[in-house]
Amino acid sequence: MTQVILGQVLNGIIVGTLYGIIALGVTLTFGITGIVNFALGQFMMIGAYAAWHLTDVAHLPYPLSVALAVLIAGLAGFLSDRALFQFTRNNLVNGLLVSIGLISVIESAALLLYTATPKNMDFVLSGSWTLGAITISRMKVVTFAVLLAVIALTWLALANTWLGRATRAYAQNPEAAMLMGVKTEMLQVGVSVYSCALAGIGGALYAGIYSLEPSMGALFILKGVEAAILAGVGNLAGALVGGIILGITESIGALFLPTAFRDAYGLVFLVAILLFRPSGLFGGQK
Amino acid sequence: MSAAWLLLPLYLLPLVSHSEVLLTILIFTYILGILAIGFNIVFGYAGQLTMFHGAAFGIGGYATFLMLSKFGISFWLAMLPMFAVILLLSMMVGWVCFKFRLREFYFAVVTLAFAELIRLVVLNWNDVTNGTLGLLVLDKPTIWWPGRGVVKIDGTVPWYLLTLTALCAVTIVSQLIVRSWIGRNFAAIRLNEELAQTLGINTFRYKMLAFTLSNLFAALAGALFGFYSNYIEPAQLSITQSLDAIAMVLLGGMGSILGPVVGAFLLTGLPHVIEFSAELRAATYGAILILVILLMPRGVVGLFLRWRHVS
Repeated sequence: MTQVILGQVLNGIIVGTLYGIIALGVTLTFGITGIVNFALGQFMMIGAYAAWHLTDVAHLPYPLSVALAVLIAGLAGFLSDRALFQFTRNNLVNGLLVSIGLISVIESAALLLYTATPKNMDFVLSGSWTLGAITISRMKVVTFAVLLAVIALTWLALANTWLGRATRAYAQNPEAAMLMGVKTEMLQVGVSVYSCALAGIGGALYAGIYSLEPSMGALFILKGVEAAILAGVGNLAGALVGGIILGITESIGALFLPTAFRDAYGLVFLVAILLFRPSGLFGGQK
Repeated sequence: MSAAWLLLPLYLLPLVSHSEVLLTILIFTYILGILAIGFNIVFGYAGQLTMFHGAAFGIGGYATFLMLSKFGISFWLAMLPMFAVILLLSMMVGWVCFKFRLREFYFAVVTLAFAELIRLVVLNWNDVTNGTLGLLVLDKPTIWWPGRGVVKIDGTVPWYLLTLTALCAVTIVSQLIVRSWIGRNFAAIRLNEELAQTLGINTFRYKMLAFTLSNLFAALAGALFGFYSNYIEPAQLSITQSLDAIAMVLLGGMGSILGPVVGAFLLTGLPHVIEFSAELRAATYGAILILVILLMPRGVVGLFLRWRHVS
């Protein structure tokens, strides 16, 4: 039984980092542009399909496809920002509704291009590692490591570079940051694009493990938003931890309680957190 | 009463037009219009972005049918316990949200979480709800008609008249509410909640009222929808259902009572006018939503009113 639980915890951690990377995008976009981009899940889907197409159809090496998929997702993010989201800055409701419209558009495009049939990528990295009684596939470990590195680098960049400090300053006090010479428009576009690129890398790695369908984004954006709120919106390192906690809650919950309610455990947890710690698990005073 | 008067000529339509397609589109417009009017009260007037109306819509259908089939009572009688269930649920969800002062995004997320929980329960409570397969509704509402006794409401024209009457009733009720002191308190809460509280408005009570009203209207619409389409399924209480109603309200315009009905008509009718494949239809729907939000922030009715004002 211990092994089963440990295996589930490991699985939960890996799925949790995928939630975490979306949560990071949600938190960053919210802090800088004042909206929640619900279409981030669809940018993840764009990244996933791009990686699948480049590897399985165009026969490029997988690491190169991942890099290109991130670029494609970032470019799509740039276009969506110029065409739509630049008009919904700091308008939460409009941003929400525009991103919901965008979800329909991107999903239909994916359905037209790739149909609803799930796509499975050929194994890029087969085999698994055995550690005692637990077996875990190599691809999952690599995915976990890459996502962890991306999140850690983002965090380091925000802590140590001028741009990172400018971003945090702007999130804290936009007027003061502007007076100190932070270029608002560029920062907002940059964060918008970066969030989409983050979702893209999540998707590209997801493609190496699970099968793809055009509707995959909806689940991940919900979990991403849940994770971001769990941690406290605006908390960057917390986004990752929030994602992992959510992933573990779900996999352990599914083990002891009915599996059909798998998605419910995270929601119950989330409501409880919002009620008793409105600023999130790691949030201070708001 | 102006808004309800505008609806009266529609009673004559079955005499003029015998087009099944037109009448069917209008029946769905009236039903979904009731749902949209409900959302407009809580969001357009009281400023609370709820995501719970989709769940209330679905429960309306399920609860009415289950009461009817379990206890053998009529459609109208079965609506009473259904409304009681909705009232209780709204009180519970509303109490949790408003007591803990959740606002905007957080309110939307928590109501969405409750709606999802209810959908999961309905989806997995197989003994009662028949799970994903849904329930086949073979009963119809009945009415006492002079000279003919108790008759079933069946067929397009009777349903047209029934749904139009329901829409009129909902329009009159919401107009009375919105134009009274209650509506002014809603507006005060929407514009500045702190100020409203300072002025002595019990914001908790009025937010609760707006939330409950919206859910009751949504449940009425859901019951009519289930009995008209003869089918109830878990998809009727999904997030999509909530979002559709939001899109109708925004498309039609938030500032007026009948704006949501105009939005419901456009979104129900449009897919029939333009022959599209399912994928393209979803894309058009998304594109319309985006364009309306960015270009017509006050909706079609708002645009019309402004145009009339200028000319």
